[in-house]
Amino acid sequence: MDAFNNLMYGFGIALEPTNIAYVFIGVFAGTIIGMLPGLGPISALALMIPVTFAMEPSSGLILMAGVYYGAIFGGSTSSILLNAPGVAGTVATAFDGYPMARKGLAGKALAIAAYASFIGGTISVVFLMLVAPVLGRVAVSFGPAEYFALMVLGLTAVVTLSDKSLVKGLIAAVVGVMISIMGIDLQTGTERYTFGTTHLLDGIDFLVVALGVFALAEVFYMLLRGGGGKEQPRNAIGSLRLSRSEIKEIAGPVGRSSVLGFFVGVLPGAGATVASFLGYSMEKRIAKDGDTFGKGNIKGLAAPETANNAACTGSFVPLLILGVPGSGTTAVLLGALLVMGVSPGPMMLEQRPDVFWGVIASMYIGNIMLLVLNLPLIPLIAKILDMPRPLLLSLILIFCMIGVYGTSFSVFDLLLLLGFGLLGLGMRLFGFPAAPLILALILGNIMEESMRRALQISGGDWSIFIDKPISLALLIIAVLSLCLPLVKKVILQARQTRG
Amino acid sequence: MTRLNSNQILGLIIALLAVGYLAMAFQIPDFPLPRPIDSDLFPKVLGFTLFGLAVMLFLEKPKDRDIPDEIGPEERAKPLLLRPWSRVVITSLAIVAYALLLVPVGFVLTSLALSFGLAWYFGYRRHGVNLATSLGVVLLLYLAMTRGMDVYLPQGILPF
Repeated sequence: MDAFNNLMYGFGIALEPTNIAYVFIGVFAGTIIGMLPGLGPISALALMIPVTFAMEPSSGLILMAGVYYGAIFGGSTSSILLNAPGVAGTVATAFDGYPMARKGLAGKALAIAAYASFIGGTISVVFLMLVAPVLGRVAVSFGPAEYFALMVLGLTAVVTLSDKSLVKGLIAAVVGVMISIMGIDLQTGTERYTFGTTHLLDGIDFLVVALGVFALAEVFYMLLRGGGGKEQPRNAIGSLRLSRSEIKEIAGPVGRSSVLGFFVGVLPGAGATVASFLGYSMEKRIAKDGDTFGKGNIKGLAAPETANNAACTGSFVPLLILGVPGSGTTAVLLGALLVMGVSPGPMMLEQRPDVFWGVIASMYIGNIMLLVLNLPLIPLIAKILDMPRPLLLSLILIFCMIGVYGTSFSVFDLLLLLGFGLLGLGMRLFGFPAAPLILALILGNIMEESMRRALQISGGDWSIFIDKPISLALLIIAVLSLCLPLVKKVILQARQTRG
Repeated sequence: MTRLNSNQILGLIIALLAVGYLAMAFQIPDFPLPRPIDSDLFPKVLGFTLFGLAVMLFLEKPKDRDIPDEIGPEERAKPLLLRPWSRVVITSLAIVAYALLLVPVGFVLTSLALSFGLAWYFGYRRHGVNLATSLGVVLLLYLAMTRGMDVYLPQGILPF
């Protein structure tokens, strides 16, 4: 009952007219910024800090929570329509969202993304409210060994979910990790694989690789397949309505991914990206029609969209309860809170209940606003696909260029983008999956850091990874997930020979 | 001698890359203070893993979907500059030119040239619509980024 009373108290604050206006402005601004190439939730929140200086802390945080949700949804739009994921959390959205858009179901894809985001966000807010204090304690018990095992699991899950060759998936993952460790080693200051150029000292930015192997490679692929001069088929947007059977179909994935996304989001460092990939791979495994994932399956779109929004809410747990930001985005939020004179942590619930419960209530309202605002806008946004193909292809190129240059201000990165575009084209032509490369690129650094820290603690003793029960369990699941396709193959072959 | 299949060729290329990667990994200098794990361990593990995977790929039989389709006779009959691979090469060259001219000439003009020029090259013949759309989108992005978000984009030879 306590939680209910507290939530009512929170709603009292969030439903003040000025705060409702802030949620609305936040969600709207976030959606627009999220759609812009290269600008994700972090940039959107950072841009809002000066705006919130003079505000009441609860109002400031309410505005920022709205921006956060809006930016995540805005990012999904470019993933679905252009296969150009601007932020890591929406990469998995493109796997089935983009094929749906190409089939003329862009409207439906965007509507599913909006519903899935709404439900994922709402369910996870309930979790946040009920279990936040307990989960906060579990999250801190995750040491480097457990993190390393979690990252390994995340990677193997993505490799095995692809219907392409397992060996090629593993090669893509290894190459992704190789790219991620380029630059200065932060633990020793040693340069690795910089080829003597200062441009690579900071490593290669995620955005360069993601836009290269997805968006640019897609443009090249269309040019190669003669898509340049052909006109786009009409009725590219399609209906926004979901049939009863479609709702039934996505209900399960949305429910499961909400829970999964929230719990993954609670773990510092894991965040929306891992959650969305895990959500996708879990559903692909469970689904009877798993072989249609990646070809425009609505479950393959609903699952990562739900999981990434749920994870965003989950990431508020370590921030609000422990004062420890689990991701870059929540780190920016922490900075904003400190500027406003609020120190999140175990005492926040007692000292500033208005802020804590106000934010939770505003998340409910923010999710509703997201739906109300975005559903009517979908036909307008999806009009992009009605453009003649040659014009669309050239504008996608501009979109990629501005995304890369606007974040790094480096001409060298534009040339790297071209390199990754050609690599992506080669991978596509020869059946190498791109998803493991991208996820490995994101996780590689954290994986190496966790591994080295764990070994530092154990004095170089590798048994630390199997001595810890959570780490051992995660590694066993990872190995099993790699072996599962092989076992399946053997069983199938045995059945065929018997039949 | 039998011809190598696509997986065997790729396996050999990746194995060569892995050897190069390992050679560089062995040149990573040691950290002056003794540590259980130094900067070179992870790259070495990655290099050997990639080499092992390359061997596995060499031994794996390619499936139909792993071999790129042949380009049809209709596409091959087109003038050289409009053939599929020419389109990829020319687009790549246009991107290189864009990258080199972006700072001296400025974002608006280079982006407009790239967008308008490539749409025309890809076969769009309504030049007025092409110019209006390219200019509109480029200006909108430029103003949104520079005025709205305070993100710097080179102005080049234009006064704004």
